[in-house]
Amino acid sequence: MLLCSSHSYSNEVFGVTQNATSFGYQWVMTNILPQQAGLQVNAVIYNYSVDKVTEDDFLVHVQNENAQGEGYIFRETDDWSGIPGNTINKNVAVPNIDISYWGLGSIETEGKGTVYDAGVYYSYQFDPCFDPQSNPSCPGYESPVDLNFEDASIYDPLADDMIQNELDRKANLKQQKEDEERRERLKIAQEAEERSGLESLLGIEETQYEFSEEQIALHQQLMALRGLPVGYLNSLVGGSYEDTITLKDKELPNNRRGLRVGLAQELKHQQLINLQYAK
Amino acid sequence: MFNKTLLSCLIMTFSAGAYATQVPVMGNVESKCVVTQDVVGVFGNPQPGTLSTNPSDGGVMPIVRYDVVQASYYSARITHPNSFTESPALSDVVYWEGDTSVAQVSDPLMSDYDNTKIEYDNVTEVALTVAGSTWFKVDASATYGVGRALPGGSYQATVTAECIAI
Repeated sequence: MLLCSSHSYSNEVFGVTQNATSFGYQWVMTNILPQQAGLQVNAVIYNYSVDKVTEDDFLVHVQNENAQGEGYIFRETDDWSGIPGNTINKNVAVPNIDISYWGLGSIETEGKGTVYDAGVYYSYQFDPCFDPQSNPSCPGYESPVDLNFEDASIYDPLADDMIQNELDRKANLKQQKEDEERRERLKIAQEAEERSGLESLLGIEETQYEFSEEQIALHQQLMALRGLPVGYLNSLVGGSYEDTITLKDKELPNNRRGLRVGLAQELKHQQLINLQYAK
Repeated sequence: MFNKTLLSCLIMTFSAGAYATQVPVMGNVESKCVVTQDVVGVFGNPQPGTLSTNPSDGGVMPIVRYDVVQASYYSARITHPNSFTESPALSDVVYWEGDTSVAQVSDPLMSDYDNTKIEYDNVTEVALTVAGSTWFKVDASATYGVGRALPGGSYQATVTAECIAI
């Protein structure tokens, strides 16, 4: 059996910065270190010359503030007290400190003396595949979504269970509301019908009262005695009666008061409509 | 007959295990003091009869670096030249002058080596009492006779830098 294997790997990149003191004895690290994710500083190399009287006390601090907190992430102090001035050349190893910790850098002095011809350099290293997506050859690299429509899967939001459940829930709520309204309307209609039946019932009772047996008997007696006029049971001929009223003033002036009332009613009506939409 | 033969074989086997042997113990000591040539010196020729490594004379001072891992175990011995190793034929005396001093340090305390150094003849000895790197520069000059010009040609001299265990 023939086994084939292939793997990609990343090599650490090592480097040294330019002189941080090129533009003064205080420097911003973002201008010095390459802004590479995962970069670590493994050493600080510095040199400077001191001009001083041998007997004088003189301290020189080469330092970097801690960008993640208080104090310094790096601080090297050289004590030149009682020693003649000279040129110092120092390489200070640091335990691979991440780039995010390196704050403002500076050379500070205490006492009598002068620092000149200074140089500060940072030795660093970083893994170019710290972010696997930075390069297809990096281990752990994942190909972005292929835009070939034949292979691409189309996302149908309506097929999503969560979305479908939410839609169902809303639909159920709407249905419940409609059912409730329908029941309310039926109830109102039923009540109206019951009221109408009652009135009808009451009407029947009135009729019965109106035409009670006594009245019927009285009516028959009157009819028998011819006590009622002949035309009592004749019905009047119906028809329409034309309007005979005529107005003398053909033009009626606008009623301003009425207009004001109308407008006020309209405003009120609009407010009531707006109330429906107010939360 | 068979039993006797077997017995004799066993005796031979046991007697072979009685040999003695000597096991060597090896060790290697690497010096904790390293001397490195940092800058090659160049003679300047400010006067017809003078050669000098001083920059003011157009020369370059040779620089040697001593790297000491542990303090106070070594001393530096630097010998500035007192003769040419290569030169045209010279018929007069050459007067030599020289000085060895600290050029750079990796610790401010090393700056005091200039005060504690011992000088004799053309030799400078410095006790390396601080761990780290110290750079020594050598200033050397040669004057030919009294008011005489050096003959044309190539001149070469040597600075000797040694690290001596105390």
